[in-house]
Amino acid sequence: MSLIEIKNLFFEYKEGIKVLKNINLFLSKSEVVAIIGQNGSGKTTLVKHFNGLLRPTKGEIIINDETTIKKSVAELSHTCGYVFQNPDDQIFNSVVEDEVAFGPTNMGIKGIELKVRVDEALKTVGLFEEKKKHPLDLDLNQKKLVAIASIVAMNPELIILDEPTTGQDHAGLIKVETLINELRKTHTVVIISHDMNLVARVADRVIMMCNGEIIFDGSPKEAFTKNDLMKKTYLKPPIITELAQSIKGFRKDILTVDEFMEELIRLRKNKK
Amino acid sequence: MDIINFKNFSWKYSGYRGWTLHNINISIKKGEFIGIIGKIGSGRTTFCSSMLGLVPHFYPGIMEGEIIIDGVNVKETSISELSSHVGLAFQSPANQLTGAGTTIEEELAFGLQNLGVPYEEMNKRIKDMLKLIGLEKFGKRSPFELSGGQQQKVAIASVLIMNPNVLVLDEPTSQLDPLGTEQVFDMVKKLSKKGITIIMSTNNINYLSKFADRIVLFDNAIIKVDTPNKILTDIELLKKHSLTHSDITEVSIRLKKMGLYKGELLVNLEDLKKVVQGLIK
Repeated sequence: MSLIEIKNLFFEYKEGIKVLKNINLFLSKSEVVAIIGQNGSGKTTLVKHFNGLLRPTKGEIIINDETTIKKSVAELSHTCGYVFQNPDDQIFNSVVEDEVAFGPTNMGIKGIELKVRVDEALKTVGLFEEKKKHPLDLDLNQKKLVAIASIVAMNPELIILDEPTTGQDHAGLIKVETLINELRKTHTVVIISHDMNLVARVADRVIMMCNGEIIFDGSPKEAFTKNDLMKKTYLKPPIITELAQSIKGFRKDILTVDEFMEELIRLRKNKK
Repeated sequence: MDIINFKNFSWKYSGYRGWTLHNINISIKKGEFIGIIGKIGSGRTTFCSSMLGLVPHFYPGIMEGEIIIDGVNVKETSISELSSHVGLAFQSPANQLTGAGTTIEEELAFGLQNLGVPYEEMNKRIKDMLKLIGLEKFGKRSPFELSGGQQQKVAIASVLIMNPNVLVLDEPTSQLDPLGTEQVFDMVKKLSKKGITIIMSTNNINYLSKFADRIVLFDNAIIKVDTPNKILTDIELLKKHSLTHSDITEVSIRLKKMGLYKGELLVNLEDLKKVVQGLIK
């Protein structure tokens, strides 16, 4: 079932400079979609149309079978939550739990339900123990999780994570990955990322963008074998895929170490 | 010859309880490429900032010990004077590009004009720099019309044009697309070959394994200094400090367990490729 449908979307920042060109897209419920492509290819510009932060120059966005032209950002944010790339662009309260309560409070949620939502959101991201702290006393990994929790607390059907792993260390990466796998049970998740390992591990579907257009829409396995398209938009597959592709005889669509080892064992059996 | 010398250097920011960096001792030779790895909050950015004198001159705090870079004592030298010895490039090109120039050439001229470099000399340096970063044809364009990778290269160039002997890069590729990342590493390697000393903080271990001479593992102190192969395949050590090993190393670990490989653990794609090719021939 479609959650978002985008029809013939064009967007220009200044007259004549087309940032998005004829985007057509369906997002279904409960899928994890990765949007990838070079810096400046239009990824963030595209997702900012989902919740009305940007409005199309031409074309239409339909959410749950309703056109969004007349809806406010506040209304759209009930369905589409956008987590900024830099948590400092989003966080402004002085106590973690107040930050997380801000969104749902604005939606008119109060009392016990508000408390439950905030606590649940903080538990989901693993920051329940930190709820009385000042967000600035948290490290970058944790600040990013606060920004995500504040969107989760609004319980939108779609959660957009813009570069969720930038600047994170390994512990942060693992937390973000676990969190995405938790969110996918109940939400549609869109991630924008340059981290191809993350994309390989969590995405059901990959949308590749280049110069404001969608140049590929399909599975991660297929995406990472499209070397010409990847190169065109400044991407490289994960290193394990690169290794497999560099060895004659190996399948070209290997995404994980497990798959690599299976393929190696298969090739050794064939040899005998 | 040592170009960088940290002696018992410690730093504590005003208002913080603990020492961000504790008892740092390291000597770095001219022309070395040093990779700095460590988890978030391990003091890597502070270490990078200390070489340009942002610590102790810009940020308030307590400093102990001594830092000597390119013959000058950081504590006794102003940031503006240090900037002709040390170039510091930040994580985001947006923080570096002044926006003062409307074209890339003007952006590159900014620092030189402040130093009062003559016009002829300035033009020559700008030309050479554009050639070095492979953007000769883009001199008249606005930096903001470039891709992220190109912008980061301009940001690094704006530092390099001051002719520093030491180039410090703090997570220069974390916001870049994969090919942009590769371009920045390739360029830095080129600079390193020209004799510029490189200090690069990054957790991109796949590239560090290819390019760095030595790796320093930070965790509010220097935990270990060694060759890329030694540090990046020490999986217990990495794990202890919230880092992880490459998938290349993981494959070599599994091959060893299966008895298919007997050598040292690997971190470089080309090395592993040879081993795997041998196994299926």
